[in-house]
Amino acid sequence: MEALLSLAAARTALDEGGLTSAELVRASLERAQALEPALHAFVRMRGEAALREAQEADARRNRGEPRSLLDGVPVAVKDNLVRSGETTTCASRILDDFVSPYDATAISRLAASGAIVVGATNLDEFAMGSSTENSVFGPTRNPWDRSRTPGGSSGGSAAAVAAGIVPIAFGSDTGGSIRQPASFCGVVGVKPTYGRVSRWGLVAYASSLDQIGVFAHSATDAAAALERICGHDPRDSTSLPEPAPQLMSALTGDVSGLVIGLPREYFDAAGAEPGVLEAVRAAVAELEAAGAKLREVSLPHTPFAVAAYYLIATAEASSNLARYDGVRYGHRAAGATSLKDLYLRTRSEGFGAEVKRRIVLGTYVLSAGYYDAYYRKAQQVRTLLRRDFEQAFAACDVIATPTCPEVAFALGARADDPVRMYLGDVYTVSANLAGLPGVSLPCGRHEGLPVGLQLLAPILDEATLLRVADAYQRRTTHHLARPELA
Amino acid sequence: MSGIARDEVRRIVALARLSMDDAELDRMQRDLAAILDYVETLDAVDTSGVEPTSHVIPLATPQRDDVPEPPMDPDLAVANAPEVSGSAFVVPKVISGEEEG
Amino acid sequence: MSAAPDSGYEVVIGLEVHAQLRTASKLFSPAPVTYGAPPNHSVHPICLALPGVLPVLNRRAVDLAIRAGLATHGEVRRHSVFARKNYFYPDLPKGYQISQYEEPVIVGGWLDIDVEEGGEPRTLRVRLTRIHMEEDAGKSIHDPAIAGDGTQVDLNRAGVPLLEIVSEPDLRSPAEAVAYLRTLRRVLRYIDASDADMERGHFRCDVNVSLRPRGSGALGTRTEIKNLNSFRSVEGALRAEIARQTGILEDGGDVVQATMAFDPDSGRTRVLRLKENADDYRYFPDPDLVPLVLSEEQIEAVSASLPELADARCARYQADYGLSESDARALTASRALAEFFEAAVKASATRDPAKPIANWILRDVQRVLKERELEIEDTALAPASLAALVDEVEAGRTTARSASGLVAELVERGGDPVAWIRERGLEAVSDAGALEAAVEAVILEHAADVERVRAGEQKVLNFLMGQVMKRTGGKANPQVVRQLLAARIGVP
Repeated sequence: MEALLSLAAARTALDEGGLTSAELVRASLERAQALEPALHAFVRMRGEAALREAQEADARRNRGEPRSLLDGVPVAVKDNLVRSGETTTCASRILDDFVSPYDATAISRLAASGAIVVGATNLDEFAMGSSTENSVFGPTRNPWDRSRTPGGSSGGSAAAVAAGIVPIAFGSDTGGSIRQPASFCGVVGVKPTYGRVSRWGLVAYASSLDQIGVFAHSATDAAAALERICGHDPRDSTSLPEPAPQLMSALTGDVSGLVIGLPREYFDAAGAEPGVLEAVRAAVAELEAAGAKLREVSLPHTPFAVAAYYLIATAEASSNLARYDGVRYGHRAAGATSLKDLYLRTRSEGFGAEVKRRIVLGTYVLSAGYYDAYYRKAQQVRTLLRRDFEQAFAACDVIATPTCPEVAFALGARADDPVRMYLGDVYTVSANLAGLPGVSLPCGRHEGLPVGLQLLAPILDEATLLRVADAYQRRTTHHLARPELA
Repeated sequence: MSGIARDEVRRIVALARLSMDDAELDRMQRDLAAILDYVETLDAVDTSGVEPTSHVIPLATPQRDDVPEPPMDPDLAVANAPEVSGSAFVVPKVISGEEEG
Repeated sequence: MSAAPDSGYEVVIGLEVHAQLRTASKLFSPAPVTYGAPPNHSVHPICLALPGVLPVLNRRAVDLAIRAGLATHGEVRRHSVFARKNYFYPDLPKGYQISQYEEPVIVGGWLDIDVEEGGEPRTLRVRLTRIHMEEDAGKSIHDPAIAGDGTQVDLNRAGVPLLEIVSEPDLRSPAEAVAYLRTLRRVLRYIDASDADMERGHFRCDVNVSLRPRGSGALGTRTEIKNLNSFRSVEGALRAEIARQTGILEDGGDVVQATMAFDPDSGRTRVLRLKENADDYRYFPDPDLVPLVLSEEQIEAVSASLPELADARCARYQADYGLSESDARALTASRALAEFFEAAVKASATRDPAKPIANWILRDVQRVLKERELEIEDTALAPASLAALVDEVEAGRTTARSASGLVAELVERGGDPVAWIRERGLEAVSDAGALEAAVEAVILEHAADVERVRAGEQKVLNFLMGQVMKRTGGKANPQVVRQLLAARIGVP
């Protein structure tokens, strides 16, 4: 259904086409249910609540009082955003029945915009993973090829948009968890500047890297959605003081004179599949034809980014996940005879293998005797990466790279190889380490599977980022391609 | 420094309040060694005189006014608890000296 | 006393105090700070460490920490960092405590303390290492009467702001340690940073103690006794531990680093936990908070809001009231005492009441306070009551001796001294007729002294006055007595 594929189509159908929000939401719920066996994008639907909210949206529209462009439109959210009175699991056994008494700020802002959350999407447990295979509920499958992963950790949200269940879905990105699944699933995925969207209510993985972002089919839709959730929040001490940016008005379609930097370290033939580099090069050529200038730049510390990321992220995660102990909420091991027994068994039963691996690594990295060599060192390398970007942005307006070195891999292909899995993040982690906004957009296919073009902009410059993305989409049709599904 | 001693793995696993059988410890030891090996690449970077990043974007320190909000309904506060007694959380008896570490 | 004088060992003591800051809400959560509420009736999602919550710093706690730094002559660091101290315990809901580690908000500073040991008062400067802010943990209740065979956890206190004040190991005896703690407590109350109420657990002391051979510069192995919440237990714990360590060393053994518990009933310390391995708290800067950068504006605003500090007030008392330096220092040692003094002066009807009131406070009132180990703010004595009492004496309506006898009661239960004087017949006898008999009797009994007065020895007149006072049970109005005697003897 077209109205489930784009915000513009939904708005037209609702405002002029006689479609009600209740009908639209019902269509979304039905499609989710129909595709559930094939895709398993959702962890939980909120059918009754969604239909009730849809009726309220219909009443508002009839009164001529829509709250925003998203009013009455079905959306999906990753199951690591807490919702008051509803279960949030983070795809983990240790939270399997946790009901939050409060709403994440992003959730309350969405509610204020009139958007209707139809369900919570699947993810890698606690957002740790790049394939959505680390979910206690089982993996989500890529709509383009169900034997393959949709990427991760926000695989469920990416698949939900790619499969036309909702036009917009929200996820989180710590090392690429929005951009990489966007790339694998052939949709647009945006990670804003660190601090743009409040983390209040986002279950923490790595506090200095986590950021909430959005999936959509187009840059325009992504811009509309981001405007609703960005902006200062006093409940998050790392929240930037700036109010929500005006993004839609920045989408002029004009890139003449804009300088696009191409970092040589990201275009090394040995580092990526040839089909991927080809598609990305064609994409930047398209932008050049539209009037942009291309310039080679260098980000010399790129080879160290993944290592730095994994040291910092796991260190912070090991501390953030210490609260899951069976005392105040979540899973508790039965029949514990002592406190120690309670902790050990609850946590060992409750966490999956990847989460345990990262907790152990992170604990090691912070532990006495290793802190300087690992954690502190990684934070220093992080400073060098930030400087790399500052220098590069002195010579260009945006940076273009492949989002991933490859296309979607087969389910189970990386099961025993954590390092190989981590290396897949090589192009995405730097943006998190430097706090930069980034977007992945579909720019073609390789062996039938979507390839993503990544754009990165300086801090707080989502406007330029999305302007370039939108300009590209005005001239190409890759973002209109749809996987074949029932 | 390649590899990590089995005892050290055990110590860290215990510090993180996880318990693992031998097979899991084997795997963990192997995975950690592989990851730490990979991470050793950072040794090649000259970071002398470089400040560690504490926050990517410098912010003025947010400080909030000392105005209390009404507390949570105590029933809601313990609503998710696996075990309660009245409005208190319950855990197995703590042996003194178990604290910390 | 630093170990037995002939033990050859010098005692080295360092103290860590955790004082609860006087804020309305918690350090990183807007939940109210309460006392005595039922379990978990004073919490917020942040206090419970629910998934997704984030900390936001309380400005008042910062201001109070700055005050404490200024009042102890410390350096207020413009840049300090909150760090996570990671460990598992049921009353620590996040599995880490937000504290300050490598970069605390205050470093250095000192307190001058007055010690009285063996009847010899002296002043000692105790250096401070640092002061920092941190969250308190909740409460674990082990009492089987309440918790049965489990442990109950109450998070009302989790997240309450604490100030941790660490001294250098400059103290050399239990008496010095207690003197330091009294002074610190007074300073914290002075600046309204903490009510430092030990019974409520708002002022908890950890002591570190070691011995070393006299003359040695190196530090011996120390043990730690935690969470002492009365001066008596601090003193008792130190004496016990010093005795224990002395015994070990004299037997040729080594003191092992450990955390000790003190049993006040047996008067002994015992090992609670050995510290062979340093606890691995994995401190790192809290990524949910940005560094605490203090503006000059904030520091100046705090400085301006500080109640007049002791030194300035001391100088003012000398200048404005003409008090001696030692009296001014004694009165300004505690803000409550100083404010009491000024209020009494204001309430007094006597002309130039400052010196008499100062005397009454520093001698009679302080004596009672010391006997009962009270601070003036903990008593029922009101400044207006003391002022009224002093006024009665200065006006001659009662004698100093009679008035003195009322002080203890006023301290204990307050009251109206003027009414008591009337009710208990303590009015000075001023009626000349009533006193003449006593005057005559004394003159007859001390004829030789009378001659000496006539010969010009004024001082002997005071002696004769004293005799009349004695005869009248201390009730005679001294001025009237003097007049009568002088007239009778025939001197001016």
